[in-house]
Amino acid sequence: MHAGIWAYLARRAIFLVPLLLGLSLLMFLLIHAAPGDPVLAMMGERAASNPTYVEQTRKNLGLDKPLPVQYLYWLRRMVLHGDLGKAYTFNNKPVMTLIGERFWSTVQLQAIALFLGLAIAIPVGIISATRQYSTLDNTVTVGSFLGLALPNFWLALLLQIWLGVRLGWLPVVSGGVEKVGYPERLKYFIMPVIVLALPNIAYFARFMRSSMLEVINQDYVTVARAKGLDKRVVLYRHALRNALIPMVTVVGLQLPRILSGAVIIEQIFAWPGLGDLAYKSISQRDYPVILAITLLSGAAVMVVNLLTDLVYVLVDPRVSLTSG
Amino acid sequence: METSAATQRVLGSQSEAPAESLSPFDGVGRHRKWAALRRYSENRLAVFGAVVIVLLYALALAAPWISRYPYDQIQSGMRDKPPSAEHWLGTDRNGRDVYSRLIKGGQVSLAAGFASVVIIMSVGVVLGAAAGFFGGVIDGFIMRFTDILLSVPQLLLLITAASLFHPGLKTTVIVIGLTSWPGTARLVRGQFLALKGQEYVTAARAIGAGPLRIILAHLFPNSLAIIIVQATLWLSFAIILETSLSYLGLGVVIPTPSWGNMLQDGQRELIAGAWWLTLFPGLAIFLTVLAFNLMGDGLRDALDPRHRRR
Repeated sequence: MHAGIWAYLARRAIFLVPLLLGLSLLMFLLIHAAPGDPVLAMMGERAASNPTYVEQTRKNLGLDKPLPVQYLYWLRRMVLHGDLGKAYTFNNKPVMTLIGERFWSTVQLQAIALFLGLAIAIPVGIISATRQYSTLDNTVTVGSFLGLALPNFWLALLLQIWLGVRLGWLPVVSGGVEKVGYPERLKYFIMPVIVLALPNIAYFARFMRSSMLEVINQDYVTVARAKGLDKRVVLYRHALRNALIPMVTVVGLQLPRILSGAVIIEQIFAWPGLGDLAYKSISQRDYPVILAITLLSGAAVMVVNLLTDLVYVLVDPRVSLTSG
Repeated sequence: METSAATQRVLGSQSEAPAESLSPFDGVGRHRKWAALRRYSENRLAVFGAVVIVLLYALALAAPWISRYPYDQIQSGMRDKPPSAEHWLGTDRNGRDVYSRLIKGGQVSLAAGFASVVIIMSVGVVLGAAAGFFGGVIDGFIMRFTDILLSVPQLLLLITAASLFHPGLKTTVIVIGLTSWPGTARLVRGQFLALKGQEYVTAARAIGAGPLRIILAHLFPNSLAIIIVQATLWLSFAIILETSLSYLGLGVVIPTPSWGNMLQDGQRELIAGAWWLTLFPGLAIFLTVLAFNLMGDGLRDALDPRHRRR
């Protein structure tokens, strides 16, 4: 373990504070600049007939105050009490409760898709690299190009038509999935997992292959081979370890893409997760929910970036903490 | 810079090409341009990509002449008809000809992608260049803003920004353009930083060249290779973003067809089993994105000899 790792961590963590503040301010301005009144969106038809009630609601929510005041109120409540407020819609639930309810269903889905992707991509990438230019390697290269270009929301729609509507094997949408018991519930996972895992497989396999090739072509690998070490030993004991290091970073950097994917894929399958919540809260102008979701996902991305850097430092002695 | 320093170092060798090798357009040897072209033409996948792109743009330009029906012509009694001799790719729920809409939609999607990339590259290159060249406070400010934008999942940012305006082609282009530049800015900044320390820049400075001259005559031309590669790859991302946004109903909206809103239209008739409404627009997106990716990859390999495809 490096000396000074805690100092490094602390320094990096302190840097996150202004970034998160900036992010919250940016999103706050962005959503308030949008036309459309959250109160009207909330009340719908009833609003037109009762203007005093609309005014009253706006006052209760603090929306009649100037923007800077609204922002500072929001910030104070969050920093001092860890309170992100109550949703305007979604039955006025506290934002944290709402996010808590949705959190696991997104994490479950994405975690399965991520690990499935890695479990397939890493061996495929390794084998592909060790047999460079073989038929298998070329197939993997072309396959990963195809996989990366495939718009996964289109694949989702095709699977819905084919496996859902035509063959009737799987439920087309996942509405009410949380009420279904467990063996039956797995059926709801199949289509979203396929759709979400596919780009992961394509991306990671391609990266694993090039990472492995990079290492294999380095001098110390040639030396190890020249010494007469067995090819397998060299490949799997020496090369593989070093080739896996960049994978840590790449997986970490995928987080924003994964969260983006959640928005559209959850929309298609009516999956009751955070992506769906984000989409709905934006279309309903539910300010507290939008702010909370963007802030949390921003924080998650920043923390994961920090952790990947940290893991990198820990596993690779060549990277120092002080430079950079 | 502080954020992800190690990360960038790691990826540096793979995604961000090293600076000194990237000068195919400099004055030292015009033959390098031809060498790059030759390397490109030897890459069969890349050539395939380029051919498909040319074909797609040709089809989009020829749209008025090759359409078989007006794209917005509604035919009563022709709802959701499968592909036939009259309607090659079938009809949609308003009895409109899918083939004609696909061609028109291609025109819209390709134009939207192209216009977005013009914005992305302009903003990204200018801000990245400023950050890399001037350093200090300017660099700090631009890069922190970049960090903030990159920390939000892009689709989330895109949907939020799209709700600021009335949905439409213009909105789509502006919103994609203004949310997508940070990656490019970061890349250009890195390139400028690396080039800034080279001897010929110091020499130019020594003979009294001003900042503008150094940027335009030295730093920019030597960064052109990565900018071109970046632009090509963004052409494919921008089309994915446009179609995603239009699919969600926040991008290009009917009656103007785009490949994305055709998919949204198709989803409405999904239960009716009208697979042709979903299959064809998606296939078009797939092919376009694939072609741009192949081309971008081929360009990277051709322009940067050290980043040759193994």
